[in-house]
Amino acid sequence: MKTNKILNISNDLRWQIGDGFHDKLTEGIYSDAAQIAQNSVFKKGATKHFRFDRVLDKIVTSKIWGFPIMILILSVVLWLTIIGANYPSGLLSQLLLDTIHPWLKETTISIGFPIWLAGFLFDGVYLALAWVIAVMLPPMAIFFPLFTLLEDFGYLPRAAFNLDNLFKKSGAHGKQALTMSMGFGCNAAGVVATRIIDSPRERLIAIITNNFSLCNGRWPTQILIASIFIGAMVPKGFAGALSTLSVITIALLGVFFTFAVSYFLSKTLLKGEVSSFTLELPPYRPPVFWKTIYTSLIDRTLIVLWRACVFAAPAGAVIWLIANISIGNITIAHWMIEHLNGFGFLIGLNGVILLAYIVAIPANEIVIPTILMLTVMSVSISGVGEGNGVMFELESATATGEILRAGGWTLLTAVNLMLFSLLHNPCSTTIYTIYKETKSVKWTVIASVLPLIIGFVVCFIVAQVWRILV
Amino acid sequence: MASPITYLLVFTAVIILLVVLFYPKGGIYWRLKNSFKNDSKTLIEDILKKLYHAEDGGNSLSTNDIISSTNIRPKKIIETIAQMEANQLINFNNGTIKLTENGMDYALRIIRVHRLWEKYLSEKTGFDKKDWHDIAEKMEHKLNTKQAKELATNLGNPRFDPHGDPIPTEFGEIEAIQGKPMPVFKEGTIGRIVHIEDEPDIIYQQILAEDLHIGSHVHIVENNEKRIVFHSEGEEYVLAPIVANNITILQLLKDEILEENTFRLSSLKENESAKIIGISNECRGEMRRRLLDLGFVLNTTIELDLISPMNNPRSYLVRNTAIAIRNEQAKFILIEKIKNHANSN
Repeated sequence: MKTNKILNISNDLRWQIGDGFHDKLTEGIYSDAAQIAQNSVFKKGATKHFRFDRVLDKIVTSKIWGFPIMILILSVVLWLTIIGANYPSGLLSQLLLDTIHPWLKETTISIGFPIWLAGFLFDGVYLALAWVIAVMLPPMAIFFPLFTLLEDFGYLPRAAFNLDNLFKKSGAHGKQALTMSMGFGCNAAGVVATRIIDSPRERLIAIITNNFSLCNGRWPTQILIASIFIGAMVPKGFAGALSTLSVITIALLGVFFTFAVSYFLSKTLLKGEVSSFTLELPPYRPPVFWKTIYTSLIDRTLIVLWRACVFAAPAGAVIWLIANISIGNITIAHWMIEHLNGFGFLIGLNGVILLAYIVAIPANEIVIPTILMLTVMSVSISGVGEGNGVMFELESATATGEILRAGGWTLLTAVNLMLFSLLHNPCSTTIYTIYKETKSVKWTVIASVLPLIIGFVVCFIVAQVWRILV
Repeated sequence: MASPITYLLVFTAVIILLVVLFYPKGGIYWRLKNSFKNDSKTLIEDILKKLYHAEDGGNSLSTNDIISSTNIRPKKIIETIAQMEANQLINFNNGTIKLTENGMDYALRIIRVHRLWEKYLSEKTGFDKKDWHDIAEKMEHKLNTKQAKELATNLGNPRFDPHGDPIPTEFGEIEAIQGKPMPVFKEGTIGRIVHIEDEPDIIYQQILAEDLHIGSHVHIVENNEKRIVFHSEGEEYVLAPIVANNITILQLLKDEILEENTFRLSSLKENESAKIIGISNECRGEMRRRLLDLGFVLNTTIELDLISPMNNPRSYLVRNTAIAIRNEQAKFILIEKIKNHANSN
């Protein structure tokens, strides 16, 4: 009886308070806070720093200089990453692949390991791990600190501010420009970076479309295939320019798909998610250099690398096993390649490529070595490679090209591989990260399957049209 | 191997088939699903709502009126109406249908769910204004009384839906809408928009396109058979009377009238400064809370800080912090411009 009375009173009061209650409360809090601040905070001199900010802001967000500055900075960061990573990558792969790998194998066999065990452990698990570390670590260790420095300095929010209108048109958030650029380094890190987007709908869009940023693991594939097949179409002098152009085209195509898929998602699947836009432009600060480098190495690089390793090890095992276990008189790999060939042909690829993408889900970096190994195995080329289940890469692009052509590759296969490398499911590290960030199986599945479907459709159409025309 | 042309044709056929089946709203799959779901419960509830709205507007409906206002088979409607009479939801009176007390209660329950759901959509989801009505139309048949109560509690027992319609209480009490349609008022009237009708859809879309907000103050400057002209928040609007008829306004008392100096933040220019008067009621849910949290509250002074290369968004200085918001949001923030004194230093 008594509780009912209280409830009734509270209901009545609620009706009397009206709708503006929340607003009034916030106003109250602010005016109290302002009063307290006025009574107790004293400013000295003040506003000098603020003016420097303003001048810089006017330049980096101006109509004339805003975009050129942004493109320049992104190009420099990417250039430093791609060029700079070559040297440490070379050293690491010499150490891990060319020196430690044979040594491990010989030593263990000489102390009495059976050959199959040494093969499984070192040709399979160790090699995949080493490969991922050698190609993945250096670019990330360069790219992320640079990015974090820009972020700390305060430039990145301005870039988001400049670009927001473009992203708004496809229903996305300006900060997606940042997570997208981060995705050029590593999609998993790009997905983690979407935490800066505070609006739930736009954040999901950024997560799902991050995969369309061509990541560090895929640039080398693009560059290699472009120089072997596309550069070869024109006289030597133009080869470099044309293959560079084709790689850039693929990256831009990725940006196009980012926008198109963002638009599609915001109009359909994500229509009902809450959306709210605000962007704080913090004052510029000199970045704390060493601290920034340290935290970006720990927070971004090492976490991503650790996840990649966790997934790469079993993948290496699987790659070795399917190439070495036979059912009847053919290996599992042979059997799968034969069954995938039909569908592969339909989308202008082949069974080897599809199988490589299935077993190399953990990291795009090991796709090319896996393709080479499988090709050599399936067309039985003798004299190259290291044996069944041992991934390898060749020093010269010409030799690689010869193997691939022997495997039945044409210009169409190359173009479609470049397209498929852009448009396929994210690597398992990214998929796991998406699950961690969204805590939703549904969005994880959509983010994984959607690009794959797009990839199949695009490759299919290109293949058919190509066959009609050529 | 078949020829590439065959493959392409098969592929195109599959795509066309998928589009025909699953095209949003119009697709065959959705239609089939709807027609199965259109069971007698839904139909009864839809008819009750029609009757309620007619009676609320002082009209009455006959069986023929109901048949002609839907595209469901007449036979089914006649059967349903007979069933409703047997269940004592309605009775006949000189050929027109009247709601019984039971029928009225039932109708109000449905309307309560509909309006609560619209409120929910506006506060807790990101669905667009123009989609609220259709979604609520479906949900109103799904929630039972207990769920409706839970929903209302979670929303803080709201009194009005986002269009300004009163939400019936769980005991079926409903407040009358105060105010009258806009064309009733004389030139020179100053009033506040309290309700915007969301049916029929064509007119509602026109009102949405004009970007008018519930809670805005309007000043009618011209009112004749051809057009109604009024000022609101620093802009001039011209509407046809048939459109204006769906906007309800409440005349303001003298002391409620704000100064004519009210503008939208989106109209603030460089080197002008202003004081925030408030955030429009049309800005709801998460977005509203964010703006409040960032300090867009009453009496805060605000200045334009930066304009991005494509004009949108713009950043504003609020309490010495630069905060960028889009022009679409800046429209919701109402300001009073501060007269620019000549620089005193």
